[in-house]
Amino acid sequence: MTTTFDPATIEVLQQQKKTHPWRKRTTKFDVSVAIAVAVPLAIVIALFLFSDFPGALIMAIYLPLQMFASGCAAVATKGKRGILDSVIIVNAVGASVFSFVVLLSVAWSLISHGLKALSIPFLTQNSTYISPSTPLEYGGMAHAALGTLLIVTISALIAVPIGIATAIYITEVRGKAVPYVRFFVQSMSGVPSVVAGLFILTTLILTGAINTSAFAGGLAYAVLMLPTVARTAEEVLRLVPDDLRTGALALGSTRARTVLQVVIPAAKTGIVTAIILGIARVIGETAPLLMTSGKNDATVTNPFSDPISTLPVSIFENVAQPYPDAVTRAWGAALILMVMVAILFTAARLLGRNKIK
Amino acid sequence: MANIDLEQRDLQAAATSHRGDRIFNRSITAAAFVSLVILAGIAIFLGAQAVPVFQQLGFGFLTSTAWDLNSDPISVGIFGMLYGSILLALIALVIAVPASLLLSIFIVFLAPKKLASILTNAIDLMAAIPSVILGLWAFYMLNPQAAEWQSLLHDYLGWIPLFQNDSGNFLGTPFIGGFILAIMVIPITTSVTREVLARTPPELVNAAESLGCSLWTMLRYVALPYGRGGIVGGIMLGLGRALGETIAVFFVLKLIYDTNWYHVIESGGGSVATLIVSRFGEASGPFEVQLLLAAGFFLFLMTLIVNMIANLIVSRTGRLKK
Repeated sequence: MTTTFDPATIEVLQQQKKTHPWRKRTTKFDVSVAIAVAVPLAIVIALFLFSDFPGALIMAIYLPLQMFASGCAAVATKGKRGILDSVIIVNAVGASVFSFVVLLSVAWSLISHGLKALSIPFLTQNSTYISPSTPLEYGGMAHAALGTLLIVTISALIAVPIGIATAIYITEVRGKAVPYVRFFVQSMSGVPSVVAGLFILTTLILTGAINTSAFAGGLAYAVLMLPTVARTAEEVLRLVPDDLRTGALALGSTRARTVLQVVIPAAKTGIVTAIILGIARVIGETAPLLMTSGKNDATVTNPFSDPISTLPVSIFENVAQPYPDAVTRAWGAALILMVMVAILFTAARLLGRNKIK
Repeated sequence: MANIDLEQRDLQAAATSHRGDRIFNRSITAAAFVSLVILAGIAIFLGAQAVPVFQQLGFGFLTSTAWDLNSDPISVGIFGMLYGSILLALIALVIAVPASLLLSIFIVFLAPKKLASILTNAIDLMAAIPSVILGLWAFYMLNPQAAEWQSLLHDYLGWIPLFQNDSGNFLGTPFIGGFILAIMVIPITTSVTREVLARTPPELVNAAESLGCSLWTMLRYVALPYGRGGIVGGIMLGLGRALGETIAVFFVLKLIYDTNWYHVIESGGGSVATLIVSRFGEASGPFEVQLLLAAGFFLFLMTLIVNMIANLIVSRTGRLKK
């Protein structure tokens, strides 16, 4: 039960919470930190400009140097026991900078290499009559983008209903097997993507039940998508207040109607987020598609008949080719794929802000 | 959270009183067991492919290292690949575990709110980059950099057996493979450890600090013991991902059918998942495909066990019980 406070009281309480008298910073502390940051940086920049050490070695010198300087600052302000703190802080900032650098490097390389490939034909044509050595003006990735969209749609059609049903079982039906179902869903989220591909290959393709096709790829993707959808949907259904359920039941609604007409609509945006996250999880998976949907230079629209190309497989095929134009094609396909992922990611974030309306 | 907890008994009573509800309940229950069916299906169907392989090759399939289908009798074994997968995962964890712990400490205890939320988003975005794109990036952007780092390691620390390199070739090494895996593991591990550390009761943190604890003392005696189970679970989840990752490693690791025990900056190593992808395209016949399916079976078993342990640890610490 929430207790109601006078709003003014809450404000006073929050202000009290924010004053940490033991965290007071002194001028001496600020000055020491400034010196500890500036001196190693100056040394490293000097080394970089006036010596012929390789850049990587200078970075390797910088980190211990920075830790030593910060340690000195710590001893000066807080005594010996500040040393470990300063080491932690320097490395924590280092780890954060590292992750930003990786992210920016990936983004920059995608944009700088990928934009070279982008053109109207690249986005609208397929790769029939295109070999790795064909110049960049001819052919495109439209067939692969179409293939990716087709396979993702098929897998969503299969995995989303089952995933949401699993979540409903855990939060609404609350049968006896809930802990086991949860455990299996979690274990399933760790299935390597290549194993999902092998599973569909050995059960359905090698036995002749279905062709190497978009449908087979969609099944392999569905194996990977199901746990993500189920787990996320479970979290959002859990946020629906029980008052709504009891209210609906008290009005004489059946369980099925309560779930379908009250609980699910209440968690609508959250469930859309779950679907988006599921799609984002699988859209770049390559290994299962190599085994289940193969590749095809022509545009394929029948999901059951022929092998079909996809963006990840096209990247896979074009990397490490000795022809620069083929490599640029790979970067272009990667850029298209990353844009798709970024759109999904942003949509999930925007929707995730208010999961329950 | 809800303030009225529905009793399971009430729900069952409500659920069985109406015919439509019974159908609804049964179909939902059936759908909930699909994940179990798929897991069992993978185990049974891939396991069935492993049986004839074992009949022909015996335990040599698991204990030897070779991939030669033309010799008579054929010599095939995946020990080097299984070991290589573990070696790569260990390298990834050596890099990713300290990095994710430091990242989550920075996000939870040190960074101003705005920076913390930017960093959290950046790391989530890192998790969303498809592995094929990371592989492409690693092949063209990371490889030259990493070769330079490794040659420095070799120049200055080459006397340590770990950093031996006799060939002078620093590409396709387990180190680069492990590094790219670390980049994929960091977001997974960080998201768990961050959540666990953020759940440290603020009154404990404030009490520790007001008693004069330094940051390290507070972490050592309050935050880390409090979140120990969750942190271990997060690391195990990362390990599961590292063992099963395929494409990015395929691009940067030179696959050799030999066991590279510990020469982490020597070109060549093994990985089961990468073996499957690289041999699948040029498989010589149904028997080679069967060998790859058997290899996939052991990869599945390895990751399943790691993930099950991880999930047990994480759920026992209460992260998933709400």
